[in-house]
Amino acid sequence: MKAVRLIALSLVLALMIFPLLWMFRVSLMPPGAGLSLEELISPALSLLPYQDILTSGKMALFFFNSLLVGVVVTVANILFCFLSGYAFARHPFPGRRFWFYSVLFVLMIPSHIVIVPLYIMLHKLGMYDTYWALILPFAVNPIGIFLVRQYLETLPTSMEEAARIDGASELQIIFKVVMPLCKPALAVLAIQVFLTNWNSFLFPLIFTSSESVRTLPVALALYQGHQAIDWSHLMAGSSLAVIPVLAVFLVFQRQIVSGITAGAVRQ
Amino acid sequence: MKRQILAGNFLASPWIVTFLAFWLFPLFYSFFLGFTDFRLMRPDYNWVGWENYINLFRDKAFIEALINTFIFVIGTIPFTTVIALILALLVEKKIPGQALFRSGYFVPSITSMVVIALVFTNLYSRDGYLFLLAKMLGMHPPENGFLLSSKTALLSIMAMDIWMSVGYYMLIFLAGLKAIPEELYEAASVAGASGRQKFLHITLPLLNPVTVFVIVINSIKSFQVFTEIYVMTKGKYGTSSAVYFIYESGLNRFEFGYASAAAYLLFVIIAIFSILQLGLMQRKHY
Repeated sequence: MKAVRLIALSLVLALMIFPLLWMFRVSLMPPGAGLSLEELISPALSLLPYQDILTSGKMALFFFNSLLVGVVVTVANILFCFLSGYAFARHPFPGRRFWFYSVLFVLMIPSHIVIVPLYIMLHKLGMYDTYWALILPFAVNPIGIFLVRQYLETLPTSMEEAARIDGASELQIIFKVVMPLCKPALAVLAIQVFLTNWNSFLFPLIFTSSESVRTLPVALALYQGHQAIDWSHLMAGSSLAVIPVLAVFLVFQRQIVSGITAGAVRQ
Repeated sequence: MKRQILAGNFLASPWIVTFLAFWLFPLFYSFFLGFTDFRLMRPDYNWVGWENYINLFRDKAFIEALINTFIFVIGTIPFTTVIALILALLVEKKIPGQALFRSGYFVPSITSMVVIALVFTNLYSRDGYLFLLAKMLGMHPPENGFLLSSKTALLSIMAMDIWMSVGYYMLIFLAGLKAIPEELYEAASVAGASGRQKFLHITLPLLNPVTVFVIVINSIKSFQVFTEIYVMTKGKYGTSSAVYFIYESGLNRFEFGYASAAAYLLFVIIAIFSILQLGLMQRKHY
């Protein structure tokens, strides 16, 4: 019985990772090679596709754009979601309940509804086709605020009170006492925000038009629109989009899982 | 106390500004636009009342996109949910290579949708491996590959989507399974319950909130299917979806009013669908 289960699980595993293995294999094809089975299992490897897209192509720029936007958005979210989440958890300010409901509201509404108005707004604000369009609307993510607030609710306030009695200022308390305590929640938040942003497609597609601010997924999707597809180059570019995700996954698996399940097992 | 109030507002201001500028205002703006004939390069626009909405229901392209979206949602979610649950049950028990199986199943769901769609564009094409496999199994796939035929294009995209997302929901089910107290199973074993009985009378009912959660978030996501359609078929061969229609009319033809009306219609449909799901499924048990 156990053997049957293992075989079944292994078959599913093969099915799940075959497409990604195929991608990596094709990205390492020597120039001129086809995609037939003999060529795929042949040991001939070449890094030329990567060299091509990074030197003569603009893939390096697109990779840089994705990385820049991803890092800035992630850092902004760490700071802003932390401050807002802290305010919701610890400060009884008027309208707190209302603003917290606004967080839950945005968590639930489908984002397609803001595509057209945001596109018009970004044009009017002069931010269309700039990095700002890729950063500002995404700098404070409701899921991040939610994570920080939930985490702080489980944390006793004794440390903060002790610091207050010792004469620490509010700023010192926020950044020197509470923020370090929130590290686990902020790690979950950072990884989730970065991965979502890194893979994001629809918004970067419609908020930019020129190559100078194009992100990697958009570049890959548009590359495919050109004449005959050169699969080994396209898959080399695709691998560039996947490798950072796999690296983050290998290092931060625990945080990714707890970010995903945070919402589900709330009840 | 007053300082605390000021501080609270100040600390929450990044969210307050983001909410007002990038969510609440666009929501109202889009609602307003839906009743106008606003287009790009036109300084003046007119109030047209319900005309956009009426035209949408007469627009074959929109109706088709809406039907496809429903097919997509209703055709993928049962499979995704059931397969994810089965996988979760299979990898939950101690088994050699458990961590490897979990990670391997999960990895596709954190990979870029654009990349997945590109890979499958090849695998589904006339000389792709899935096409060759179908032939080997004695099936008769469409001559030009799965994506260039209106008989198979949408189904192929749906199959890919199921493949991609089962690992994600498996993880959520795993967390739900872990939250079920072990004592319940032990007590049931003592009382002589079979594995099947334990599954039907302990696992399933206690997992119900998680199942509802999985189905609701998957529906909200699936109703907005866009990226895979943009990359794989550009909405041709009977694959256009509601969000693809909004993209085409709003951001290719710049019919802002018309696209906004379509977006609101979809918004209302998603809201009704989610509320129905929550209501129906919570009533089913107890």
